Amino acid sequence: MTTTDPSARIIARGLRTSVAALAGLAVVYVLAIGFTPVEARQGVAQKIFYLHVPSAWCALLAFSLVGIGSALYLWLQDPRLDRFAAASAEVGVAFAAVMLTTGPIWAKPIWGTWWTWDARLTLTLFLFFLFVGYLALRASLHDPAERARFSAVVGILGMLLVPFIHLSVYLFRTLHPQPIVLKPSAPSLPPEMLRTLLVSTAVFTLLYIGLVTLRYGLAMAEEAREEAGDAA
Amino acid sequence: MLPEPPANGGYMVAAYIVAPVILVGYLLSLWRRARKVLQGD
Repeated sequence: MTTTDPSARIIARGLRTSVAALAGLAVVYVLAIGFTPVEARQGVAQKIFYLHVPSAWCALLAFSLVGIGSALYLWLQDPRLDRFAAASAEVGVAFAAVMLTTGPIWAKPIWGTWWTWDARLTLTLFLFFLFVGYLALRASLHDPAERARFSAVVGILGMLLVPFIHLSVYLFRTLHPQPIVLKPSAPSLPPEMLRTLLVSTAVFTLLYIGLVTLRYGLAMAEEAREEAGDAA
Repeated sequence: MLPEPPANGGYMVAAYIVAPVILVGYLLSLWRRARKVLQGD
């Protein structure tokens, strides 16, 4: 890895940020397990909330930024925006996988079932599959301009689902709990629980930044390698 | 007096293992791909 190569520098920065965020995740575990009270009705399983909610936040943030980056790409035709959208989509799928596994693990002891086809859960699963399709589409197209244009349209359509997912607990009858922080009134959580949730959300957001930076640098390096291959 | 909270710590342990497995696994896959591209393999 040479430090003069800009993609190598970006990759190294992303790696450092991601490792720092993972160290922060260890702090979140200590806070959640040792210094946050057990919820009286849900028991210890409620602490899954400190991973599930931040991963959901990062997944929805990532997919929203894919849509914004894609719309800007269609307008400005700047390949950096397409590269960012692709990086954010892949990282968003990883966070969505965390959300979609920790959710059912929480639901089993609390609801008595791993899964239910209510609006929030079904729309979230649909969003996950949509962005898996986005990544498959990108992998199947070899012309960079065509790949960027087609995937930008899918990215924008995916982003349009995000507000429906957030509001689905108000729009439909659903088992899923209503928002307790991102809502018009004050957060309805005891201060110790709110502190742990906010620390965890900050750590997950830092991990999102680190992973997107690393994925962006990797895309740059791959493009440079392809161009060098074409020129040879 | 409140009843005792349910004993369901195993679910928390499962979630607290699954989440880093996915995230660290993804980070390692990115790192491996980056190393491969930068070394020109």
